[in-house]
Amino acid sequence: MRFEETKIGSILVAKVLDKRIAADVAPQFKAHLAGYLNNGERSIVLDLAAVSFIDSSGLGALISSLKAIGTDGHLVISGAHGTVATMFKLTRMDKIMRVFGTTEEAVAAIS
Amino acid sequence: MKAMVLAAGKGTRVQPITNVVPKPMIPLLGKPVLESILEHLRDNGFDEIVINTSHLAPVIEDYFRDGSRLGIRIAYSFEGLLSGGCLEGRAVGSAGGMRRVQDYSGFFDGTFVVLCGDALIDVDLREAVRFHRARRSIATVILREVAPEEVFRYGVVATGPDGRVVQFQEKPSVQEAISTRINTGIYVFEPEVFDFIPRGCAFDIGSELFPALVAAGAPIFGVDIPFEWIDIGCVADYWEATRMALTGRIRGYRLPGMEVLPGVRTGINMRWTPENVTLRGPVIVGGSTSIGDGCLIEGPTLIGAGCVIEPGAEVRQCILGDYTRVSSVARLDRVLVYGSHCIEPNGEHLDIEQAGIGWVVDDARKRQEFTGEQLDLLELARALGN
Repeated sequence: MRFEETKIGSILVAKVLDKRIAADVAPQFKAHLAGYLNNGERSIVLDLAAVSFIDSSGLGALISSLKAIGTDGHLVISGAHGTVATMFKLTRMDKIMRVFGTTEEAVAAIS
Repeated sequence: MKAMVLAAGKGTRVQPITNVVPKPMIPLLGKPVLESILEHLRDNGFDEIVINTSHLAPVIEDYFRDGSRLGIRIAYSFEGLLSGGCLEGRAVGSAGGMRRVQDYSGFFDGTFVVLCGDALIDVDLREAVRFHRARRSIATVILREVAPEEVFRYGVVATGPDGRVVQFQEKPSVQEAISTRINTGIYVFEPEVFDFIPRGCAFDIGSELFPALVAAGAPIFGVDIPFEWIDIGCVADYWEATRMALTGRIRGYRLPGMEVLPGVRTGINMRWTPENVTLRGPVIVGGSTSIGDGCLIEGPTLIGAGCVIEPGAEVRQCILGDYTRVSSVARLDRVLVYGSHCIEPNGEHLDIEQAGIGWVVDDARKRQEFTGEQLDLLELARALGN
């Protein structure tokens, strides 16, 4: 999986460059997010604007990472659109993870 | 009188619904659109009808067979091949389809009507035929007024004072458009029109035949007859049409089932205790469906037959196809579930299997088997309560 990382102050904005986050890459995805935590990142905006499909495994990886951060920090989503937004809504994960329209909004919310 | 209904299209703009049914068979409150069209033809004096079929032909042919159930006589013109045990569609265009029937048997031996099988119409066809004959036309198209900003979606027609067609434009820009009257795809023809349809190639009525007729100076006319037109060209249209039907806004459209509570109609063999379900009409539910205690069903909602709405589920303004299971944790809002897909009103869709969301909504006939991950997500959703 490919990511583009930018730091805005103490906030890491990680943009997913792959179009699909599905079962075949979910373990890598989870490992990559765990890597951020190991590096001490505690405020993460995951930008999904380039992603057009995510399945239950992808969501599962996100939730694991969210649990790992726990109350120590923030992991929020930006740029979810189309069927990715539908997935968050249908599975009710939009009640568990904070989902923002743009990275600007997400960064502002966790600053 | 004779008519031809065009039902050979692939319906790509209504996918994934048209992955399992051809567009004319898309059910509006459970009744295929094509059935309403055939009944309308019958009520207007058309009782010998050829339907051209291609994509998913058996769905149409098995449903109507020889038409005797509707009180008409139907025959089919199948455009395709049986290859490797599968039927493959090989459609030949609207005018090409007409040509094929005429070359096969010379079926059209007098005035006949041709129309598409995918829009609900209540147009007075007898009036159209009267106009056509009075003008001695060989091709008459029924026209409809649209808003100027909509013309880019249609074939636009300009006529002289007596209705004679002087120009056609296919999907013009708003600035270039010569009129705001569009081709509805409903035609009255004389057999002479076949002189203008070439053999052996795909040929379209609106964009190829009519321009050829204009160029040849043939007597062709357009007639304005106001009518109700419910088009199912894309998912958004289907969504809107169903909502209109559910709220009684389609004149004369019969609602299925029987009213068991104000605004709530159901089929038989329902498994539920109405007092334990929060219902806000209009809601229509098919037979053999089970709705658990504590559910919330808010209309306009259509729930198909054989569905299982598990206790506590919330369904708001949805269209659920037959045999849909909705899990207790689901909070469905403006979702269409059809043919193993979840479809948004704007056409975005998810394949339930591929997305792995069978634990939210799935086919009721499937055994429920979830992966560890899906069970975790299910547990989380449960823990959310409301």
